[in-house]
Amino acid sequence: MSETRKSSEFWRGVRDQLPLQLGVVPFGLVFGVLGIASGLSEWQTILMSAIVFGGASQVVFAQLWMSGAAPWVVGGSVAVINARHILYSVSVAPYLSKLPVGWRIVLGYLLTDEAFAVSIHRFEEARPDQPVHYHLLGSGLTLWVCWQVSTVLGVQIGATLPPYLNLDFAIPLTFLAIVVPRLRHGAEIAAALSAGLVALAGQDLPWNLWIIVAAIAGIGAGACVDWIRGGR
Amino acid sequence: MIWVIMIVTGLLNFAMRISMFSGLFQGTIAPSLRSVLRFVPITVLSAVIAAAVFIDPASGAVSVHFPKVLAATLAAIVAWMTQSVIATIAVGLAAIWIIGVLI
Repeated sequence: MSETRKSSEFWRGVRDQLPLQLGVVPFGLVFGVLGIASGLSEWQTILMSAIVFGGASQVVFAQLWMSGAAPWVVGGSVAVINARHILYSVSVAPYLSKLPVGWRIVLGYLLTDEAFAVSIHRFEEARPDQPVHYHLLGSGLTLWVCWQVSTVLGVQIGATLPPYLNLDFAIPLTFLAIVVPRLRHGAEIAAALSAGLVALAGQDLPWNLWIIVAAIAGIGAGACVDWIRGGR
Repeated sequence: MIWVIMIVTGLLNFAMRISMFSGLFQGTIAPSLRSVLRFVPITVLSAVIAAAVFIDPASGAVSVHFPKVLAATLAAIVAWMTQSVIATIAVGLAAIWIIGVLI
């Protein structure tokens, strides 16, 4: 396998990933600002981006931690949010399972929403003998660098911002931007509405369990609609 | 303590990402699990949105805080029309600041 093909796959991954950074960088900035606003230290906020490395789940982590949730609820909620990565993992498995273990560990760490989105597209269109794992390496590293740098910048900015700016309201806004465009079918709408209502009704549940209970209710509602539609 | 939770959740996250090409499992999942996982991001994020918009942080009770609800509604419309994260955050924050000044 020639070095040029590897290098061209890598840079192709970088190029494919760059446009998505228009959304990633502001999100990273917001997370950096919010981490500080939630009472995390600068190092905790910055290193969370490297250790947890999952945008929405880091925001929920910071929020739950700030509200005094039990450690297992924080961990459980973050795990539930990130469970979608299993779907990505199964989709890329046919292309990556034969790689040496070091490669699989690195690519496992780098498999995020955005990296998956651009690289699975390349995996499916490329010839079978093409070294497409370099594409995922390029797209994953690009996202990783942008996420870390924007978190650090957000932390620096966050320390200087006055609280009356309501910047914590950027959390639901960011999530609205992710959720709303996906509400195109009955099952998704039912899932989102049920989860929202149960989250409100469940505020008094112990240990901040409302996120997990709301997720289960929403998934149940969505699956019911799917089942009714499918049964017709 | 926070470091322990962070590292444990980081490892869990990594385990889920690498799971199906880790060599420990067959690279397949049941269709039922697949359809369940599809709803995870939408439901979790909707729960967080609902609480952030409709829960009064001081009392912990459900309340309709007009600036928040209006700003979130405008942001949702922008999200639907543009699918842009930046535009959604910009419109939502601008709305809550402007309404805050006007009221």
